[in-house]
Amino acid sequence: MAYRAEPPDGGWGWMVVLSAFFQSALVFGVLRSFGVFFVEFVAAFEEPAARVSWIASIGIAVQQFGSPVGSVLSTKFGPRPVVMTGGILAALGMLLASFATSLTHLYLSIGLLSGSGWALTFTPTLACLSRYFSRRRSLATGLALTGVGLSSFAFAPLFQWLLNHYAWRGALLLVSALSLHLVACGALLRPLSLAEDPVVGGPGAQITSLLCHGPFLRYTIAITLINTGYFIPYVHLVAHLRDLGWDPLPAAFLLSVAAISDLVGRVASGWLGDAVPGPVARLLMLWTTLTGVILALYPVAEVPTGLVALTVAYGFTSGALTPVAFSVLPELVGTGKIYCGLGLVQMVESIGGLLGAPLSGYLRDVTGNYTASFVVAGAFLLAGSGVLITLPHFFCVSAPTSKPQDLVTEALDTKVPLPEEGLGED
Amino acid sequence: MRTKAAPITSLPVREEMTTKYSNLTLESHSISMTERPNMPAEKNITLERPSNVELTCQFTPSGNLNSVNVTWKKGDKLLEDNYLVNATGSILYTQYRVAVINSKQMGSYSCFFGEKKQQRGTFNLKVPEINGKNKPLITYVGDSVVLICKCQDCLPLNWTWYTGNGSVQVPIGVPVNDKYVISGKHANETKLKITQLSEDDQGTYWCHAIFELGESEGHVELVVLSYLVPLKAFCAIAAEVVLLVAIILLFEKYTQKKKKPSDDGKEIEQGEQLKLDDSNGIENSGPRHRKNESVGQ
Repeated sequence: MAYRAEPPDGGWGWMVVLSAFFQSALVFGVLRSFGVFFVEFVAAFEEPAARVSWIASIGIAVQQFGSPVGSVLSTKFGPRPVVMTGGILAALGMLLASFATSLTHLYLSIGLLSGSGWALTFTPTLACLSRYFSRRRSLATGLALTGVGLSSFAFAPLFQWLLNHYAWRGALLLVSALSLHLVACGALLRPLSLAEDPVVGGPGAQITSLLCHGPFLRYTIAITLINTGYFIPYVHLVAHLRDLGWDPLPAAFLLSVAAISDLVGRVASGWLGDAVPGPVARLLMLWTTLTGVILALYPVAEVPTGLVALTVAYGFTSGALTPVAFSVLPELVGTGKIYCGLGLVQMVESIGGLLGAPLSGYLRDVTGNYTASFVVAGAFLLAGSGVLITLPHFFCVSAPTSKPQDLVTEALDTKVPLPEEGLGED
Repeated sequence: MRTKAAPITSLPVREEMTTKYSNLTLESHSISMTERPNMPAEKNITLERPSNVELTCQFTPSGNLNSVNVTWKKGDKLLEDNYLVNATGSILYTQYRVAVINSKQMGSYSCFFGEKKQQRGTFNLKVPEINGKNKPLITYVGDSVVLICKCQDCLPLNWTWYTGNGSVQVPIGVPVNDKYVISGKHANETKLKITQLSEDDQGTYWCHAIFELGESEGHVELVVLSYLVPLKAFCAIAAEVVLLVAIILLFEKYTQKKKKPSDDGKEIEQGEQLKLDDSNGIENSGPRHRKNESVGQ
């Protein structure tokens, strides 16, 4: 088996982008639109909304904490079999859920089983995407992540239509069929052998080396801080608007506007991340700082025009920081260790995500309005962007693309006798 | 035209009615009309309990007040008494009082002004409306379902359920059995629980709320599907996914087979070119290009 020196940056890579697009749609789009099912579950099982919302919380938690498992398996077996298995698990969870007779049944089938399936799909796919691209990595990631936003638009009305025609049992059965497409997406992930792969070793060795890697740890801390503040506006924006006296329909409409600017931000930032020379971490810091500042400005804005402008800006900047957040990692640890690296980051950052929303809710209960919540969210984002400054090569002018090559040529001199001429190019 | 100098609040009502029903609540409603025939002057009044009802029509005629004839009707029947007419400035008032104690007094009361071009104001006295469900309820064979009828601000005396068989309504729960259970936590709602659903249970269900002043009904439509309906859709989509996976994997095998035979040739060439490179540094572009092709597989 011949190893590539560099990621292909195109060719089959665009099919991987397509696969990642549908996967982010099928994993996060489904999760975000699940609220439509909640009303039905509350009525069908006669349980309070708080207990029903645990279904999604368990699913998200399992998806994030299980990410390292997906990473380790992908390093050993390649992303394709792992993602296809994940797709089958996710669909199986939904299928079993359609036979549910109690809420616990739903916790186990959707939360645990589908959540494990999602854990095995999303992280390996994004890591695989990073391996297929180097010069256009941010754009590819940005395009793939637009799947989340677009699917939220499409799935909410679709799920409502399914509920109207098949009731929740039939609708879950059909969502299971929809989730089976994750298997097809997995089939698209052709294995790619990069030159660094034999060098970095098995998953155990990779994880150990990552945990001792200073920049990686600092990046993880930064991402965790960012994640803590990131979700708060999504969760609390509508409630904040209602507090200010907005009607539910204009508030929901504003959220849709934010979703559109989020989409635009992702693609624009993806393109920008590749076009601007230098480490991508700088752009991440820029977007994170802007998002933090905007959040801190929220309590000041009372006028509708000000709120609309802030929300559009927030949508754009928070969408913009997502693709670059994923692009920084391969620059830090190299594409050889990307599976394990991404898995670890997802697992740790989920702590931030789990803490963020309840903390914000608690602040609101204590202070009476959302001012403190938004300011604290902004503070977390600014703290995260501050940690990013400590990353290596932050103030360099040229891109550190030589880094993965250095790793390779270093090790190759000592291990595998491959011809040097073929690798000396940039 | 009858005019009285007495103020509008004291009525020439029969004595028995005043003493008998003075403990009932008083409901006052009025309609204001002008000489514009296009405006339908109608008001819906919801009554739950027996009460004294006062209906006032106010009219601004274009011509002379004295030439306007005022009459009251209940449905099509002309009402003789219990009403008075008064005039203040250019506005003509007429008021009708009735003690509503049972369903016979419910219905439409209309005041009429004028002879040639009659202006009409209508008061519709109704019992409260019941809300069933507008969208049909979808259930599956073997499931159980709860049908709910609610009344927002009213407390009916009793609830009954019927199932609609065409235009005939058959009462439910008359021989009490396990299949149908009628319950209700609060007086303003009723719940009908049906267990062991089968496709025969499909159709419209009517809930009747009984008030002192009449009956009101709501309806819920029930649809019972068999599991095969979504299952067929599921199998179709699953088959499509299997097909997609097969196409993707076969395409990959096909493209790999195309590359394989030429691969061996290029690798052998690479070894030979290395020997040439060491001695000949000038022709770097040619061999380098080919070497990259074989490495980049």
